[in-house]
Amino acid sequence: MALASLGHEVHVITLDFPGAPYEELQGSLYIHRVPVSAPAPSFHSWVLLFNNFFEKRVGQLAHEFGPPDVLHIHDWLTVPAGVAAKHLLRVPLVMTFHSTEASRSSNSPSTESAMVEGLEWWGSFEAARIIAVSGWMKSEVLTRLKTPEDKVEQIPNAVEPLKFEGPVDAMAARARWNVGEGQKMITAVGRLTPQKGFDDLIRAYPAIRRAVPESRLVIVGDGHMRTELESIADQEHVREVTTFTGFISDGELVEALRSSDVVVVPSRFEPFGIIALEAMAAGVPLVVSRVGGLKEIVDDSMDGIEVEPNNPSAIAEATIRILSDKELASRLAARGEEKVKSYSWENVAKRTLGVYQDAARRTKYE
Amino acid sequence: MSESPKVLLSTLMVLGAQSLEKAIPIDELALKLGIGVSELQVELDKLTGAGYAVTTRQAGRVRVYLTGTGVITASSAYS
Repeated sequence: MALASLGHEVHVITLDFPGAPYEELQGSLYIHRVPVSAPAPSFHSWVLLFNNFFEKRVGQLAHEFGPPDVLHIHDWLTVPAGVAAKHLLRVPLVMTFHSTEASRSSNSPSTESAMVEGLEWWGSFEAARIIAVSGWMKSEVLTRLKTPEDKVEQIPNAVEPLKFEGPVDAMAARARWNVGEGQKMITAVGRLTPQKGFDDLIRAYPAIRRAVPESRLVIVGDGHMRTELESIADQEHVREVTTFTGFISDGELVEALRSSDVVVVPSRFEPFGIIALEAMAAGVPLVVSRVGGLKEIVDDSMDGIEVEPNNPSAIAEATIRILSDKELASRLAARGEEKVKSYSWENVAKRTLGVYQDAARRTKYE
Repeated sequence: MSESPKVLLSTLMVLGAQSLEKAIPIDELALKLGIGVSELQVELDKLTGAGYAVTTRQAGRVRVYLTGTGVITASSAYS
């Protein structure tokens, strides 16, 4: 959308989604949702299958609109279609790494992981330029995929600060998630997967409750770990004061963040950590794990508090500090709001265009 | 983390069961997964309870398909 706002014609090819139209046009942004009209025996074979459908759609669009100036793929899932389209259309290919399989799978080898890592390497080899969303991610690409350093550019993800401005009925929002008047709202947001460390936060919560009895924990998001997390909350005797919201809309997320007293990001692994930027934009103080992109976004004790990952005691201590010290909470939040201004979509779009131009310069076909 | 909801979600996804028209009969799904219908029904109850899937009766057969939330959850397991 930011590239389209700068006057470029952008075509996004993505998967069909229940209830969404196959074709959508927003200004000069075209969204093409592709149905996959054949079943597959497994997730990984399905990925290869849908790449064939994507490749077909790229071909159709190239006939309809002319070949693109650049192809941009994200992570391993669309490498086969991207590489095929690059060679068929003879255009430059750019690849963004948001994470790597090795870090996602915690280095536990499996045949599926080997395939994904192979696709990651293939994409990185075929791409003229690579974008890594954090310094940590760049280091992963350089060391794991042996990519030449001059091929990789670090460009962060972005947030739109305006989205977090304007009035919010905090009392109504908090009531929706069982947070009463005068109570402290501790919020965590993300997919309910082991890498996010929400189990550590729930294990930290009894200690937080002892120090701040009027607090409530709100966990926003959904995922495979939900039942397990609910069980942990039961075991820790905090189920009654913990709300699992499930998926919520973007608007509700803004309301949740703006209504919070502290946002905790207890991840064990986080290539970037967009929620940290969103919390800063919402003017809420942060506790984050000292991992990956999070430790690059947050300056410890300046615009958030960093804690070691896998450490419920440290999470509890930092959260209690923020909830008990209004001056500290205000200072952290104010500095976060200032910092987040540098993470604008316009900046990211302009830097991405620079990468496209360089990719075009580096791509030569005889 | 329990693997069964993850496997069931991704199976529904890769089979294309993402709308009422593409809903899959649960007896066929049980065959594909190599489990009994009653065992599958227990797992499906968890998915429908969490809002990830919808079961429906068509032409005398119980069928199931993913909701948008189910699609997002299935996708997020591998990215």
